[in-house]
Amino acid sequence: MTDHARLIKACAAGDRAALKRLMDAEGGRMLGVATRMLRRSDLAEDAVQDAMVLVWRRAAQYDPDRGSASGWVYTILRNRCLTMLRNEARETPTAPEMIDETLESGVLDTAWDRLDTASDLKRCLEGLDDGTRRAILSSYVLGHSHGEIAGRMKAPLGSVKSWVRRGLSKLRECLS
Amino acid sequence: MTDRPLDILIDECVLGLAGDDDIARLEAMAASDPMIAARLDIARQKFAPLDATADDMPLPDDFWVRIDARLDGQSDMDAPVATADRAEVVDLNAVRTQAARWRVSALGGIAAALVMTMVLAWSFMLPQEQAVVAVLLNDRGEAIALVEGMPDNTTRVTLLETQNVPQDKVMQVWTKPEDDGPPVSLGLLDTGRSRTLTIDGLPSPNAQQLYEITSEPEGGSPTNLPTGPILGKGFAKEPLI
Repeated sequence: MTDHARLIKACAAGDRAALKRLMDAEGGRMLGVATRMLRRSDLAEDAVQDAMVLVWRRAAQYDPDRGSASGWVYTILRNRCLTMLRNEARETPTAPEMIDETLESGVLDTAWDRLDTASDLKRCLEGLDDGTRRAILSSYVLGHSHGEIAGRMKAPLGSVKSWVRRGLSKLRECLS
Repeated sequence: MTDRPLDILIDECVLGLAGDDDIARLEAMAASDPMIAARLDIARQKFAPLDATADDMPLPDDFWVRIDARLDGQSDMDAPVATADRAEVVDLNAVRTQAARWRVSALGGIAAALVMTMVLAWSFMLPQEQAVVAVLLNDRGEAIALVEGMPDNTTRVTLLETQNVPQDKVMQVWTKPEDDGPPVSLGLLDTGRSRTLTIDGLPSPNAQQLYEITSEPEGGSPTNLPTGPILGKGFAKEPLI
């Protein structure tokens, strides 16, 4: 079992210090992930706090045989961020002029530059055409939906969906 | 969207492109099938390096105090969580209850099949004793195949029911030698009949090892991981010989 898995197990047994250690170890990076997706620091902080509380409440459900501990924690965080993004979009429609594409582009470029050049993911993403790679990165990094990607790429929704699927198939082949 | 191949469903859920119902469907499948859980984990690990590219940001001073204050109370998050959170990650309790019910009905089948396994083992007088035996059950709890794993990783698969596999598909046999490792193909049942499969490089099979038969495209799974519907699965036991 990894250290994180042990901490989650301790959380399940009611050990608050274990949750704090998990927060000390991962909280900063989690806040970074949430900020990229939600853009507002207050929302990002809420998302990380919600995620930590959910980790605490669901710790007993975590099964180390079914996946890595950090994967489990980040999945909870990312799903929380996506829910907040989708709810926010429903409640306050973003005016087109509010979409800062330069900022988004910068975030994606930074993520791309920082992605370890020796990693298989980087090598395999490099094999995709620019548009498809960008679409896959903006869904994972920015939390964009198919519709949001289509809007920014000024492409029909159906085409974006099939580009992404083709890209994902290529990635899968390349990474297997 | 139910016809979407499982790999695409997994990737789109991991990327964040899938809808709440697709996420719920996949989580339910993963909860009842360790092979799918393993594939989901592999997909998550695939994109995880992107999480590491985010800034490591300083947490506000009172961050822990604010989290700590919420650990006892149910009230503050229950309202939003009850609506938003339900959609966000599946309630595994419901899935577990279903799985438990399935297990109860399957246990009878397993017990009966194990007795039959013993009879078969004795009557065949195998030249080599099996290290493990697994009875693979379909989703109705019916035994569809008997798998006997030998210490040298020869695997004898005896089909117990004719499977209606489409013309352009083939049955593929899988196992998970390590609990937290990926599924490994043992080979194809390309004639649609019982046969003995051999594979090198795997550790000797052990008790509790998972075996599974899926329906795959001709020639076997293109990704070298199970992609098709599961025809039967079961955990191995050491026979009492």
